[in-house]
Amino acid sequence: MSKDFMEYIRRGPVLFDGGMGSMLIAAGLGDKEVPEQWNFIHPEIMIEIHTAYLEAGAEVIQTNTFGATAIKLAASEGGRGLDPSAVNEKAAELAREALRLFSDGQGAVENAMPRFVAGDIGPVGEFFPPMGKLTAERARAAFREQAVALNRGGVDLFLIETMYDLREAVEALRAVREVSNKPVIVELTMDLKPKGYFTLVGDTVSKAVEVLIPGGADVIGANCTIASEAMAGLVPEFRRHTRAPLLFQPNAGRPEISGGVAVYRQRPEEFAADLAKILDAGADCVGGCCGTTPEFISAARRMIDARGLGK
Amino acid sequence: MPANSPPLALPAASVVEYPIHIQRGGLSMREHLKACMQAVLEGDGERAEQLAKLTLERKLPLLEVIDGGFVAGIREVGRLWEEGALFLPELVMGAEAMKMAMVILQPALEASGGKQEKAGHVVIGTIEGDIHDIGKTLVATMLSANGFGITDLGADVPAARFVDEAEKKGAGCIAVSALLTTTMPGQRKVIEELKKRSLRGKVRVMVGGAPCSEKWAEDIGADGYAGDAVSAVALAKKFMA
Repeated sequence: MSKDFMEYIRRGPVLFDGGMGSMLIAAGLGDKEVPEQWNFIHPEIMIEIHTAYLEAGAEVIQTNTFGATAIKLAASEGGRGLDPSAVNEKAAELAREALRLFSDGQGAVENAMPRFVAGDIGPVGEFFPPMGKLTAERARAAFREQAVALNRGGVDLFLIETMYDLREAVEALRAVREVSNKPVIVELTMDLKPKGYFTLVGDTVSKAVEVLIPGGADVIGANCTIASEAMAGLVPEFRRHTRAPLLFQPNAGRPEISGGVAVYRQRPEEFAADLAKILDAGADCVGGCCGTTPEFISAARRMIDARGLGK
Repeated sequence: MPANSPPLALPAASVVEYPIHIQRGGLSMREHLKACMQAVLEGDGERAEQLAKLTLERKLPLLEVIDGGFVAGIREVGRLWEEGALFLPELVMGAEAMKMAMVILQPALEASGGKQEKAGHVVIGTIEGDIHDIGKTLVATMLSANGFGITDLGADVPAARFVDEAEKKGAGCIAVSALLTTTMPGQRKVIEELKKRSLRGKVRVMVGGAPCSEKWAEDIGADGYAGDAVSAVALAKKFMA
């Protein structure tokens, strides 16, 4: 299955799933809870969310493990009681289970799309110097523990995402490469500044390409921070520097706060239209980040199917 | 990837030749101010500290060196940040260099009787239920580097504590950070607490943090929103003007 993923994405655009956090908040995630707790407290809701994305037409679903490194879990009241290995393995198993149930329910559909489980890895939440005291060794050990457990839980590939410091992305990539030969995707999170697209600490696309591709990343790209329209402008910047497969997962516009909650006002159709621009600009895979729901992924599915590229 | 690959270097700051005669104290006042500014701009804390010591040794006018040298440097850092030519690491290092110089100069300033004219006092913290404090700390550092007196309450701070401290310190401004949509409503509580104690007219409130916006500040009746450390300084200056 894993090797297939790299072949599969060469056949045409591949659709990833959308946001997890906003789905969990809608399902009642409490103030003091972290999303990772729900892998244990509400496994049935996790399966429901994964299933909703599969039904919407996502070919890749992401495990609920964005903040599941030992460092990040230890920083919050809700996460402190969780065993990092156990939570990553459990989350991977839940995504696998959702995929199995979905495939069984589909029966023997002819030309059924292959589907994949991506083990999600986010930042540890501490900064490298000079902003913070994070060390490469500490970061890598935390990522290694997470990658081992995700692998044991049966993920098909790894998705390192929302990285605002290339140094941290590299440690996550090294950690995954130390424990698995499965495909690895690395997404940075970049903002549009007066002088172009940069990460929070000033990393550029060319620097990222220079470091991540030789480091063993199979797919690179960007997610979060910027809305779909600005993300479309970032794609050519990546394409200019690399022929590697690219993944982009923008937010559903900029959040507005209404009645104390974040509201994403963008419509699924507008989002899908921007994803089309992202594909036109040379991306191989697209998906959603904050504020996107199965509705957005469903609109993206219709957009991709209407393009009729190879699939 | 081999385990022993070197860590990535930070974006290289432009290397400027360090004038040897600084050591001998042979700089003109103009050169001295420029060196102070340059040390902050390059985030070179050791050099900033050395120049601060030299300022004392040579008995140079303190306020002039602070304002025309170190503060000028931090202003330039802020300008370059806004222009998108500098990033978070350079901003942090600039502010740290400024702080290292001020640690040396502050006691002398106070001892000389010419107590530095503070820009005002700001009570800052991250609201209750929220443990994100990197952005808040950066804002505090930049405010301090720009001459504000700072009471940093840390993270997970109840609304009433902001007001207690502001009252105690006679602060003109409270800065409340919230990084979660779930903790943002706590920022409103700070304003309500000020009203309850009839202090709303005396203390300005600024809000910040990823999910906040101008509109959110307006909705809850805050005096302003700052999207980053540089605009927080500008806003605080506007409040205290």
